[in-house]
Amino acid sequence: MSAYIEDLDAALIAKAVKEGSISALEVAQASLDAIDKRDPQIHAFIQVTPELALKAAQDIDNARAQGKELPPLAGVPIAFKDNMHLIGSRTTCASHMLENYESVFTATAVQRMLDAGCVPVGKLNMDEFAFGSSTESSYFGHTCNPYDIERVPGGSSGGSAAAVASGMVPLTLGSDTGGSIRQPASFCGVVGFKPTYGMVSRYGIVAFGSSLDQVGPFGRSVHDVALAMNALAGRDERDCTSQPWNIDFTADLNSGVEGMKIGIVSSLNNAEGVEAEVVDAINKAAQNLTAAGAELVEVELPHAAAAIAAYYVLAPCEAFSNLARFDGVRYGHRPNDARDLADMTSRARAEGFGPEVKRRIMLGAHLLASGVYDKYYYPAQQVRALITEDYKKAYEQVDAILMPTSPHTAFKFGELSNPTQMYLSDMFTISLNIAGNAGISVPVGFGSASGLPIGAQLIGPAFQDHKLLRIAASLEASYEATQCAPGFTKKGGLLS
Amino acid sequence: MSLSLDDVRGIAEYARIALNADELTEMTSYLNDALERVLEPITHFELDGVVPVFHPIGDLSNVMRDDVPSNESLPIDVALQNTASQEDRFFRIPSILGNGGER
Repeated sequence: MSAYIEDLDAALIAKAVKEGSISALEVAQASLDAIDKRDPQIHAFIQVTPELALKAAQDIDNARAQGKELPPLAGVPIAFKDNMHLIGSRTTCASHMLENYESVFTATAVQRMLDAGCVPVGKLNMDEFAFGSSTESSYFGHTCNPYDIERVPGGSSGGSAAAVASGMVPLTLGSDTGGSIRQPASFCGVVGFKPTYGMVSRYGIVAFGSSLDQVGPFGRSVHDVALAMNALAGRDERDCTSQPWNIDFTADLNSGVEGMKIGIVSSLNNAEGVEAEVVDAINKAAQNLTAAGAELVEVELPHAAAAIAAYYVLAPCEAFSNLARFDGVRYGHRPNDARDLADMTSRARAEGFGPEVKRRIMLGAHLLASGVYDKYYYPAQQVRALITEDYKKAYEQVDAILMPTSPHTAFKFGELSNPTQMYLSDMFTISLNIAGNAGISVPVGFGSASGLPIGAQLIGPAFQDHKLLRIAASLEASYEATQCAPGFTKKGGLLS
Repeated sequence: MSLSLDDVRGIAEYARIALNADELTEMTSYLNDALERVLEPITHFELDGVVPVFHPIGDLSNVMRDDVPSNESLPIDVALQNTASQEDRFFRIPSILGNGGER
């Protein structure tokens, strides 16, 4: 008996394992085989963890044999962005700095997925320390987009999106500080969800921007993402920002959007730099939501244009502070012939960090300097207040806002070689990290010119994540079911 | 006003990143480009009287546990597992004031 998992979503795998039509061990082996076969081409994984996977799968099969009730995602293969601690694996952040770092504990979000029955098959590639939008800055080499291996998968959680799009796993976790879940989901034609800030614990995730970071799932359906959220959400006393929410994210998922109001920001959707095929796809998505019973309402986000500037002040400042811990003393790269402590630290960081990490740290160091702080950092926090207020006003009129996830489809390696040009492409994703709102990227077909996947982004008010998923499910239902990228799908290949 | 090479050398020292001459030049160009192209708009907004927010969800408060000591901590051997140099139960580092080598 052989198993193909390419066309199976998490819900179907968990059901099959629970019913006994396939064992967790067979599913785990199928996922490991798919990784063996496909990852040399895609390079989504930094580390594969067959021992952890087979042990977890065996435990599930044993529990079933003993007649125990299986958890909701029993037997579902999962992989984690490599900034998430998992005992028994390295956590490298795709950096030379942490190349040999062995996890000494397990992140809460990771543990919650394991407790829900998921089987950990490995750790996923990313931009180094999550600084980037293309996964090109990984020390271990870039990940390829399964739709076109000459193009980037997006970033920073590029491995998380590519692994799902190429059928190696049905579910992954990523982290999103300025779009790092939604943009790669859009580029790779999968669903990527950034929950409200505070919805999911960040304990055990290597911190980048502590007032912006949030963990979330990737899947090939909104339903799978909702199932993952059932496991992930809720208070964790180890992360004081995590809030005590306990919601069944699947409960209203298929209740539709009849009577709901969806906001459209015309000035943003048609802004300079947004490709025509993206505008067309978003207009079509809006029509589909209308056809499903929603009403479109024009809303304004007058300070949206300031979001990129505010973000690239706040995020580097927070990164500068968070990455101060990499001093070569307790962990991480260390030169072995240092003159003194300062020499050791300066060289550990010079040799251990890649160029983009150094840039962000240097930018943050400058922005927090006396005199400079008042010019940039303080105003950025004031702009944050204005952006948050804009969203609040918009949500008085609408249930969610629809806009592109990215102004363009996946670009070629090296095409955005200027770092500041790359920053400007984050125009649609960044503002909701600043405001803490939830956002999801849903595949809405392929570009008429490029033929590449396009994602529509739905944004919703804080802690209304379940409602946002419901709207996303309705939008998703107006398109053909999301498949793996061509060449990675095994149509009809099932559990036999 | 643009940052000079000397300014950037000072920032690198403060950030504890040893940059060589080429990297300093490149970094200076990057920082000036980022400040002018990406960050400058933040200085153009009318912000008088706007109260800043430092947390994305301002009307929620942090969830704090009771202020009692926790028994949770890493065992010493685990805490030392990832260091490049250790001695007995301690992290080993070079001399702080400098005399060469780890001691």
